[in-house]
Amino acid sequence: MAKTTLENLRLGIFVVIGTALLVVASYLIGNRQNMFGKTLTISAIFNNANGLQLGNNVRFSGIQVGTVKAIEMLNDTTIQVYMIIDRKVQRHIKKDAVATIGSDGLVGSMILNILPGKGTDATIEEGDILKSYSRIASQDMLSTLNTTNENAAILTSNLVHVTEALTNGKGTMGLLLNDTLMASDLTQTINHLKNASSNADHTLRKLNSLLDRIDMEKSAAGILLNDSVNGIKIQNMIANLERSSMEMAKMTENLNLVVDDVKEGEGVVHYLANDTVLVNTLDNTLKNIEEGSVKFNENMEALKHNFLTRRYFRKLEKKEKKQNNEE
Amino acid sequence: MAYAYRTTEKLKQFFVEVGELAYFAMRYFKEVLKPPLEFKELLRQCYHMGNRSIILVGVTGFIIGLVLTLQSRPTLMEFGAVSWMPNMVGISIVREIGPVITALICAGRIASGIGAELGSMRVTEQIDAMEVSGTNPFKYLVVTRITATTLMLPILVVFGDTIALYGSALVENLKGDVSFQLYFNTVFDALEFGDLIPATVKSFFFGFTIGLVGCYKGYYSKKGTAGVGIAANTAVVTASLLLFVVDFIAVFVSDIFYDL
Repeated sequence: MAKTTLENLRLGIFVVIGTALLVVASYLIGNRQNMFGKTLTISAIFNNANGLQLGNNVRFSGIQVGTVKAIEMLNDTTIQVYMIIDRKVQRHIKKDAVATIGSDGLVGSMILNILPGKGTDATIEEGDILKSYSRIASQDMLSTLNTTNENAAILTSNLVHVTEALTNGKGTMGLLLNDTLMASDLTQTINHLKNASSNADHTLRKLNSLLDRIDMEKSAAGILLNDSVNGIKIQNMIANLERSSMEMAKMTENLNLVVDDVKEGEGVVHYLANDTVLVNTLDNTLKNIEEGSVKFNENMEALKHNFLTRRYFRKLEKKEKKQNNEE
Repeated sequence: MAYAYRTTEKLKQFFVEVGELAYFAMRYFKEVLKPPLEFKELLRQCYHMGNRSIILVGVTGFIIGLVLTLQSRPTLMEFGAVSWMPNMVGISIVREIGPVITALICAGRIASGIGAELGSMRVTEQIDAMEVSGTNPFKYLVVTRITATTLMLPILVVFGDTIALYGSALVENLKGDVSFQLYFNTVFDALEFGDLIPATVKSFFFGFTIGLVGCYKGYYSKKGTAGVGIAANTAVVTASLLLFVVDFIAVFVSDIFYDL
């Protein structure tokens, strides 16, 4: 009988310990899911749940404060996530806190993070809806990466073309890279450029010293550069010049008209310019006049020797001589 | 022709056995609800099956936890995921390894014991004597044993799980500088009711299977001393095989209900 009692006692201890272990395990699991203890339920609205599941942890500033209780689809783009929050942390979470969905490590399960706001608002209450912030889903990142990759592929293919052209010596850059003659030419050019620039520098220095030496107040250049009165005069001069040139232009116009008249008009000059017969006649007349004058000179010489007029000419000669002597 | 005949005979035998086992189970359910309850005998069986198996289950569980952690450590280290060890070991032990290993150990120890005990009782005509004397042998021998295994196995599984987790934590503590608190925190972080409840429910079925097969094989053992040996042997083999079938069905059902 005593043996049976001892057996039963041992059995009792075994069963109690076993059951207790099971209960403790259940409690620990349940406690993680906030099944026991005082809690409150709040929610947040997201566009994308990012694979969040029921029972996922809720963290506030990195501390485990609750679990996801329900995920409800309100419409095609709105998902309401309800979460159970431990009442102990209620006073720390303000109404302006922001909920985001993140992952626990790189390969971990999803978690709901509550980020504290400015902390000036009132504390959260049962049924409150927190503001949410949708993080970039990995799929979006991948699609963006895909576009980037495509662009990179295009870029690299272009680069291949460019490098091919470069290695084959096509285009200016290719020539620059491959043509040794051009390289030496370029070196020369650069040397020349250097020389030119040093010369230019030298010249500029000279110019500077020249300019320094110019007496700005008294020299002509200085006056030209500085004197406003003379400047006005020069302006006037230029204006006068302009006027003169305009008048000259008018004159040339008139002259043109005259010339046109001469060419085509009916005046004497026209005939003089254009009538060849008249010219011949005039030529003949001039010849005749020349001949006439030669003959007149002969006549005059004859007159000088003529007894009637000889006396008069001698007088004239004497007068001339006298004048020459006086001078 | 002879081969085909043998095959059909074996098939027939298999179906007969399945049918008899089902009938045996039905008879158990009928008898278990019928008073009076052989409570003292039940307690005695519970003690023999529960308490007497603790050391065996404990040592097995401890070694399983230890070895599982040691073996998976290098692979997890390769991925830089040693911190996930408690999650992995915890879930695998609670969900599958704990119940199945414990049940197999118990099948070896309890089913063979029941098979041999009832077989020898059958051989020595004690069962027949009980029938003659007006005692219901089925109620006294079978119902108490099946009930005892059904009730004791889940508790043994809990013990086994705890000790296995402790063994795993020990390795992590010694090799990976993970404190016991952090280890068990991580384990319970990873565990959900969806892991614990199906495993516990499954353990009841495992216990029932072990008791049922052991009792059936012993109760219907063939005459002669060889029959006792055969009863004990087939009890272990059939129970172990049936455990895996039950495990498969349990996982299948819990998959539907808990949406793994």
